[in-house]
Amino acid sequence: MTAIIEVDSLTKRYGSKRGIIDVSFQVEEGEVFGFLGPNGAGKTTTIRLLMALLRADAGKARIAGLDVWQQSVEIKRLIGYLPGELSLDPNLTGGQILEYFGHLRGGIDQVYLKQLIARLDCDPSRKFRQYSSGNKRKIGLIQAFMHRPRLLILDEPTNGLDPLNQQEFDRMVKEVRDEGRTVFLSSHILSEVEQTCTRVAIIREGQLVRVGDVAEVKDIKRHEITITFANAVPTEAFKTLDGVAQVERLSDGQTLRLTMQGGADAVIKAAAQHAVVSLTSHEPSLEDIFLRYYEGDGLAVKEASHVV
Amino acid sequence: MWFKSIYLKTLRDYRIAILGWGAGMGLLMYVVLVAVPSLVTTAAARAALVSLGGTFSWIAEPIALGTPGGYVTWKYGLTLLVIAIWPLMACSRLLRGEEERGSLDALLSLPRGRGRVALEKLAAVWTALLLMGLLIALLAFAGGKSASADFGLFDALLFGLNVALICGVFGSLALLLSQFTQERGTASGLTGGLLLVFIVLDMVHRVIPNTEWISRLSPVYYYNLSKPLVPASSYGVPSSSYGTNPGGLLVLLALSVLLSGAAVWLFARRDVGGTVALPRWLRLPERAVRPERALPVNAWSLRSVYTRSLGMIAVPTFWWTLVIAGFAGWMVVVVKQIEAQMTSLYASSPLLKEEITKVGGGDLATNATILSFLFVFLPLLLMAFAVTQANRWSADEEDGRLELVLSTPQPRLRVLLGRFAALTTATVIIGVLTLAATALASAATGLQLDGGNLAAATLSIIPLGLLVAAIGYLLSGWLRTAVDTGLLSFLLVIWFFISFIGPDLNWSDATLRLSAFYYYGTPLLHGLPLLNMLGVLAVSIVALALASVRFVRKDIGR
Repeated sequence: MTAIIEVDSLTKRYGSKRGIIDVSFQVEEGEVFGFLGPNGAGKTTTIRLLMALLRADAGKARIAGLDVWQQSVEIKRLIGYLPGELSLDPNLTGGQILEYFGHLRGGIDQVYLKQLIARLDCDPSRKFRQYSSGNKRKIGLIQAFMHRPRLLILDEPTNGLDPLNQQEFDRMVKEVRDEGRTVFLSSHILSEVEQTCTRVAIIREGQLVRVGDVAEVKDIKRHEITITFANAVPTEAFKTLDGVAQVERLSDGQTLRLTMQGGADAVIKAAAQHAVVSLTSHEPSLEDIFLRYYEGDGLAVKEASHVV
Repeated sequence: MWFKSIYLKTLRDYRIAILGWGAGMGLLMYVVLVAVPSLVTTAAARAALVSLGGTFSWIAEPIALGTPGGYVTWKYGLTLLVIAIWPLMACSRLLRGEEERGSLDALLSLPRGRGRVALEKLAAVWTALLLMGLLIALLAFAGGKSASADFGLFDALLFGLNVALICGVFGSLALLLSQFTQERGTASGLTGGLLLVFIVLDMVHRVIPNTEWISRLSPVYYYNLSKPLVPASSYGVPSSSYGTNPGGLLVLLALSVLLSGAAVWLFARRDVGGTVALPRWLRLPERAVRPERALPVNAWSLRSVYTRSLGMIAVPTFWWTLVIAGFAGWMVVVVKQIEAQMTSLYASSPLLKEEITKVGGGDLATNATILSFLFVFLPLLLMAFAVTQANRWSADEEDGRLELVLSTPQPRLRVLLGRFAALTTATVIIGVLTLAATALASAATGLQLDGGNLAAATLSIIPLGLLVAAIGYLLSGWLRTAVDTGLLSFLLVIWFFISFIGPDLNWSDATLRLSAFYYYGTPLLHGLPLLNMLGVLAVSIVALALASVRFVRKDIGR
């Protein structure tokens, strides 16, 4: 596969304030790439740099081999874009907005447009200011998808969508991927990214902290094994075992929660020395990984802990 | 301190407006008051001025024109109503603007009743108006002192209070109307229209005898009842006729309380984000479009950035054309009536003669001279229109409305030039329709005007409008919308002072050249000032080019 997005040491500052610092990653053609981070981490700044709405202070970004700043017009022929905050003329109807952007893109397939409207259950006859936030988002999504772009750049696309429409959106993304087109989406909803994306990047305080396959990212995080014994067992029996990072006794006195990094063979063998009532192992979610990257940062942990 | 209450926070938002409008209008009063003694140096000049006042009585009742207080009340009493633009915009924005932005939801989530929120905001508007009135009063008093006028500080304060009260009425009206409109712009527009209607209604009784009952329907009538800068005792007239009219002040106060009270009452009872339901017969017919038929729209205005920009500017262009072409046509109609009085005044007031000579063009023997003097207001109006449109461009970027347009394969330069081209089209339309209106008025009244010069006078306002727009676009490359619009408005005021007050103060030609109005010249008398206009166009093109360079390279920001 070839890279459709290449970001190399991209840096953007807002005066003395941080934007993003030395961000580098690649997105392969045909994949669904998730861009994760809490509010203010630099997701939108990165996206607006890719869209040539901001100019980088340093570094380069290329889309389909073209420089995002120098050849932005050519690039935008390939892109469908949904901004994080949608601001459109409140006096135009949804239909008028879609027609206007259709013209600016040189014309679109009306049949496909009507299919999208039907799929997202959107009423294009109402004025934009009369829409709820979810319906505004639908108009934004339709205008991003309607010209069948080679690359979709979506900034927090499901904000405000109800679960049914989120599912429909997931299906639309999968169809795009199946057609060999690319999706780059930002989110702070980790389960959404886990479900939709093939690869993921995590950004924190303007710097990229991890890029990898969703499965690969899962592997680096710690397992959690919870064992309930028939009688109380000393924690020391497990603390020094291979693969055990932490042992915690729960309030009932008979249950131990073990945080694992590595294989569980030694733990299983040690547990077998005692009468075991139950043993459960938790598959890590991206929420866990996300929280791990913010360990020791009180504010960030607090933000991340609100993530659904 | 400023964030302790809704009242203080709102007042803080108005601090620049208080200084700008209060000091601006106050300075106007000051400068005019200082200049009055030199206008009426002889008894003959005073008599001629009184005669002229009689002819222009449709503007304002001419009382004691030979005195500084009388002259300034007659000449600028109406002009001062320009300040009512601020409260009508501020009050349209007060609740409806916050609803549009969605910020009112957060404010109403506080443990405060809706009525209290509205009243705190309204109190801030009233405080701002009273402070503006105070600034105007103090500067008018200072001007009066310099001119040895016979009104005192208390009279000046009453003058300021009268201004604050009439502004309060239009602010309250805007607040009430905004309860019925989805957008603040609609409420502002409607109130602005009513302001013009009320000004005209007030004029009716001064033009047509026995029609005072019609004028009583206008709040402006009650504003004009009070003439605090014309103290009653000085002129041997019945004391109830002049000076401050407490009844007039009370009517204005009562109107404000009534309109504001109704607005707050309705606000406390309607849906936030919704409007007060009108009776069925007052509602506009709704065009019900079935969702499946909503596309394709096939509207001409949606085909490109240029046509969309034209569609956006169409309604304001219509109203501004009505004002500018209407003003020009009306001036042609009335100018013939005042020729004799003006000739007499020229003969007896050397300073006024000099002023008219400088601004109007110097050929005192023709109607065109007076018309030329009055036509200087045409570029001012068109430039004000350009300010509003430059503001809209800047606001669209600030509000993020350009973001999706710029995500399409449209070069930034095309987006900017498309918008500017639409504005250019609108200014050309206004210019051409102004020419048509004046030509028709000229033919209808039999006023002899040179066709070529008339075309020059009406069409050469276009480059001046474009100049202001280009400067506005240029400034928006760096400045926030409020600052951009404020600076542009300030520039207009400065130019106005230089061109209209400068001759009174005998400023040098080099200083007068700093004003864009200078380059408009006197086309009605002397034809198109081709070099001047080319110069203005060249500066406009340079400003637009710089604006384009900046826009193409800048971060598109919120």
